[in-house]
Amino acid sequence: MSAYPPVKTVEEFFKQPAEYQDAVRKIVRSHALNELYGAQVFDEPAIALAPTPYAKWLTCRVAMEEYHHHVRFKELADQIGVKPEALDTKNKRPLNIFEFPLKTWEEFCVIKMLGDLAEILQVEDLLHCSFVPLRNIARTTMPEEKFHAQFGADFCVDLVEAPESRARVQDAINRFYPEAPKFFGASGSKNNELYRKYGIKLRKNEEMRADYIARAKDIVGKLELELPEIAVAA
Amino acid sequence: MRVESPEAWFCALGEALGQAEEADIAAYLAALGLAARLPTLVVASWSQAAEIARTPAERWWSVEEAERARLERVARLDPADREWLALTDALHGAAAVAAARSGCADQGLIRAAAGAATYAAHQYRLARDAGAGDEHPFVRKYALFSGGRWPLGVYGDRFAIF
Repeated sequence: MSAYPPVKTVEEFFKQPAEYQDAVRKIVRSHALNELYGAQVFDEPAIALAPTPYAKWLTCRVAMEEYHHHVRFKELADQIGVKPEALDTKNKRPLNIFEFPLKTWEEFCVIKMLGDLAEILQVEDLLHCSFVPLRNIARTTMPEEKFHAQFGADFCVDLVEAPESRARVQDAINRFYPEAPKFFGASGSKNNELYRKYGIKLRKNEEMRADYIARAKDIVGKLELELPEIAVAA
Repeated sequence: MRVESPEAWFCALGEALGQAEEADIAAYLAALGLAARLPTLVVASWSQAAEIARTPAERWWSVEEAERARLERVARLDPADREWLALTDALHGAAAVAAARSGCADQGLIRAAAGAATYAAHQYRLARDAGAGDEHPFVRKYALFSGGRWPLGVYGDRFAIF
């Protein structure tokens, strides 16, 4: 639990130290942008890649949920004074994870399985955030994030049954996964130190990354596939 | 662009087709350039709908997508529009209620139904924004959805509707 007292409203937010306000703005901005990037570069294009109407419609619904996550974070960003230009994807280079060139259904399923797992960990870390409006958004989006990751895992279960698509899933893991741990930021991060000081986040970047790697290994292991070896940042 | 209230969405699943619905189906297929008199399969259950929708229907889907691409050269919609997202959530709620009434708790299938309705509403809005009239296939399909049906599409040589 956070040692910092709960900040229950946007009005109370503006009474907090500037350092607290800046820290919350950075996190809200990051989530607003990541949700938008994800919907634009992965979820929406994947509708065309899905093999059946069922998979296409399900992907469509998932895309809408991701857009809605973006809107929730963006609305909070607007309320707490994040400048509109800071929320424009034209003004911020996306994380490497969003530069993966999506071309196949197998790749998309791997992205949902392993990419959304990374998002789950980030959102989990906000479930006890001292800024209650942000905590509430995290709690609202979490069930859908879990569904999205399970969606990817479930389709991967189907795909690994046939040797050809099994090989394509492993290949997608080999190419997507190496960038995913970078999603958690640098070890020994000063920003992360501030987030924990103010009870905005709970864990160090390196702790989250280690947890992510362990969970990803478990999920991929259940498919009897492997994660590629990667060099984890110190 | 206003989209009709979702109140009737998914309320007539599995019911026998009326004449107006049969006319909408024939007009929809003809306007897409598909055979207007394809046999129609009225699906009886959520599980049967899932089974059918899990089979490829690439020809039908491609024809719809070609029309969507044509419309998007004229009209573009914002998928992150607040009002639009509220409608998509309402459609998800309507699908969940209809499924619950039939004892279906499959979250994936419920979301697929919501996604199908969302896609149809998106196509309808595109068609209207591009100035299309009531005979446009996306307007006809939308009439079936908003009247409580789930048109599943063309599979092989038949049109399936729940």
